[in-house]
Amino acid sequence: MKKSILTSLGVALVFSILLSACQTNPQAHSGKKNIVVTYSILGSVVKDLVGDRANVTVSMPNGQDPHEWEPSAKDIETLTKADLIVQNGLGLEGGMEKALGQAKDAGVKFFTASDHITIRHVGQGEGLPTGDPDQAVGAEDPHLWTDPLAMEAVVKALTLQIKADLDIDVSDRAADLGSRLINLNQEITALVNGLPQANRKLVTGHESMGYFAQRYGFKLTGAIIPSLTTQADVSAADLADLKKLIEDNQVKAIFTELGTPAAVAETIGKETGVKVIELTTHSLPVDGSYSTFEHNLANTIINGLK
Amino acid sequence: MLLISDAIKAEDLEIGYPNEAVVSKISFTLPKGHMLALVGVNGSGKSTLLKTLVGLLKPLHGKLVVLGLDPGKSPRQIAYLSQFHQSSFILPLRVMDVVRMGRFAKHGLLGRMNDEDEVLVIQSMHRMGISDLAGKPLSSLSGGQQQRAYLAQALASRADLLILDEPSAGLDAGGREIYQQAIKEELERGASGVVATHDIQEAMASDQAMLLARKVSAVGRGEDIITPQALLETFGIVIAIKGDHPGITVIEGEHGKDMEN
Amino acid sequence: MNWLLDPFITNTFLLRALVAGILVSISCGIVGTFIVLRGLAFIGDALAHGVLPGIAVALLLGIPGIIGAAAGALVMIGGISLITHRTRLSSDTAIGLLFVGMLALGVVIVSRSTSFTGDIVRVLFGEILGINNQAILIQIVATLMIAGTSIVCTRPFLLLCFSPEQAQVSGFSSCLYHGIMLAMIALAVIVSFQTVGTLLVFGMLLAPAGAGALLARRIEAMMAWAAFIGSLSVFIGLLTSYYFNLAAGSAIVLAATVLFFIVMASKNIQFARTQQTHKLDRSG
Repeated sequence: MKKSILTSLGVALVFSILLSACQTNPQAHSGKKNIVVTYSILGSVVKDLVGDRANVTVSMPNGQDPHEWEPSAKDIETLTKADLIVQNGLGLEGGMEKALGQAKDAGVKFFTASDHITIRHVGQGEGLPTGDPDQAVGAEDPHLWTDPLAMEAVVKALTLQIKADLDIDVSDRAADLGSRLINLNQEITALVNGLPQANRKLVTGHESMGYFAQRYGFKLTGAIIPSLTTQADVSAADLADLKKLIEDNQVKAIFTELGTPAAVAETIGKETGVKVIELTTHSLPVDGSYSTFEHNLANTIINGLK
Repeated sequence: MLLISDAIKAEDLEIGYPNEAVVSKISFTLPKGHMLALVGVNGSGKSTLLKTLVGLLKPLHGKLVVLGLDPGKSPRQIAYLSQFHQSSFILPLRVMDVVRMGRFAKHGLLGRMNDEDEVLVIQSMHRMGISDLAGKPLSSLSGGQQQRAYLAQALASRADLLILDEPSAGLDAGGREIYQQAIKEELERGASGVVATHDIQEAMASDQAMLLARKVSAVGRGEDIITPQALLETFGIVIAIKGDHPGITVIEGEHGKDMEN
Repeated sequence: MNWLLDPFITNTFLLRALVAGILVSISCGIVGTFIVLRGLAFIGDALAHGVLPGIAVALLLGIPGIIGAAAGALVMIGGISLITHRTRLSSDTAIGLLFVGMLALGVVIVSRSTSFTGDIVRVLFGEILGINNQAILIQIVATLMIAGTSIVCTRPFLLLCFSPEQAQVSGFSSCLYHGIMLAMIALAVIVSFQTVGTLLVFGMLLAPAGAGALLARRIEAMMAWAAFIGSLSVFIGLLTSYYFNLAAGSAIVLAATVLFFIVMASKNIQFARTQQTHKLDRSG
């Protein structure tokens, strides 16, 4: 037994050394540069910024949960061969952690959106006592894309980095996109002004509307127990807590998100008498436009809380 | 190498399991170079006694000295053949590997095997008539051939005390002859043996025999104690066959399943 | 033939996955051989799933999952010993009890936090495509430990496979070496959950060794076959994962299972053919 164990070990070691030695990295330097963006909403903005001066690929298919989605081998290959990766940061892309690590090891350049904004922290009364580190009071909120002005800051910074790392000048496009984002912000502000301040209370699936609330004067009245967003098992205590929350704050509507089980939502609606409205916070609308995305968000909320 | 004259000494020994005594009041002495045959049906306590002798079970009461020490304390000098073997149908072992295992007790975890060991292995296979099967996988052998391999393993250990549970089970007439010859040779070189058997003839021919039926029915010289009367008391019905093939048959009364020739 | 090797040559991460997978195959080949020969499949499975709460707690506390897995394995083995020694219950029952208890505990812990689900799925199915050099180093160490232990303990392990009573009587404590074997299984499981995950590592323990049992006439050959078939499964699994966009860990285990059935089928065909030849011989 000893001999063959030693032999197979030896063979394996030699094999691995040989393999690592002969790996090559054929770089195709001809053609356009490849920018890979992790999720769809950020991807839409980057595409708008870059136009056809570079290839922009989005890793996650639209509609997938960016916290959970995991890349396949081909997806990882795309990442490791990119010229620049644009990621959100603050741990949004949970399922891509290892893949992004591989890309880093391969020497790919990174741009992290959250580096260029004022990061929001989960405040008192918003977080939940669940032990989920993302939702604890004081935790950093990664959902920066719901604020057009945050996106504008990101665009500015990205333009500089694209020039520095890829030697592509998109400053003309950046200026145009920037002013459109500022206009968008003014449109949304006007829309929201139609809603009385007293009604501006948001109860959402998880901490995803923080930046929106901050920008447009909403109060985050303790998010719905997160077990309603991606878990199948709701605890009895959580349901009871939610009922009390809704009654205490005279909430008119609660907003569920990506993945909230329909049956649970129905139960809550029946128990508490409030409207249960689905909010699309993590995926782009059919036309793929960021502006449409923001408008939809604002309108759904305003109509629900009128 | 034994420095004491008795291989085993038992006094008022009670054997069994923590909440269940199986046989009590066992007393006997087995001198060096002698053979003790245990006779009894399944469940009579034979295997229990053998396991107690090798140290697999603790004695419940009384005194037991094996090769001058407490049972289980002298692995290098004892060879044990149990009644049942695990998964011999998938175990990828060749016959010579099985026989070689008989040498492990001598060398422990890391001690090196040398030519002497190899010679013993070859000799043992030869003595049991399976030299031509040496390289074959155990699973390809018949039951009788497998049993010969297990016996060869016991022989290879050159132990001072052989504890064998139904060693001739599954052997054909030729196999039984070979086995009996081998045992004879072992006893001649000074080893001692305790053998649990269904073979009444073997028991009658041994130096000592013990009739077991959850109690010690009789113990003494094989010839002396194995009488139709004793067998009747121990087992139930006895048929003595006279004529061309004289012998004694035991038909066990109570359990109704055991029949032996 | 280029398409067979290209993905590995142009992608370092795939190459690392292959190396990690081969190391896992060697560990699982050695350990799996003993599991198959001694009928320890149930306890192997229980260990694989029972480490879940340990991993869950570790992730919760922010410490490496491997340490939690080791702790979980210790609790399981300890619990099983406790039940089998203190009560008259069989080890089957003891193992089953602890297995289910630990699994439920793991789910309860996980249900308290959402950010977890993804992590736990990754623990169950592995993240072989995310293997980094540090993980490979850990696997090399573990594989060496497993190989080293089985070399040192060759004799008692052989005896245990043959007959635990025989082992005891030959002077090797059945208890001790059984415990060492369990520890080896635990080690293989703990280290493999990074590659194929705890749900599937069991497949890597059984399928290649099972095929090896059908092909080998000696234990050493069985281990070698198991390691080889395991490595082949890793290669095939990674390739199909790449070309057909399949989950890598599961593709590997599926490949191992398919290979087992291929070996089984070819053995049966072989057997049937020799029967045919004998019939012809006799009738001719």
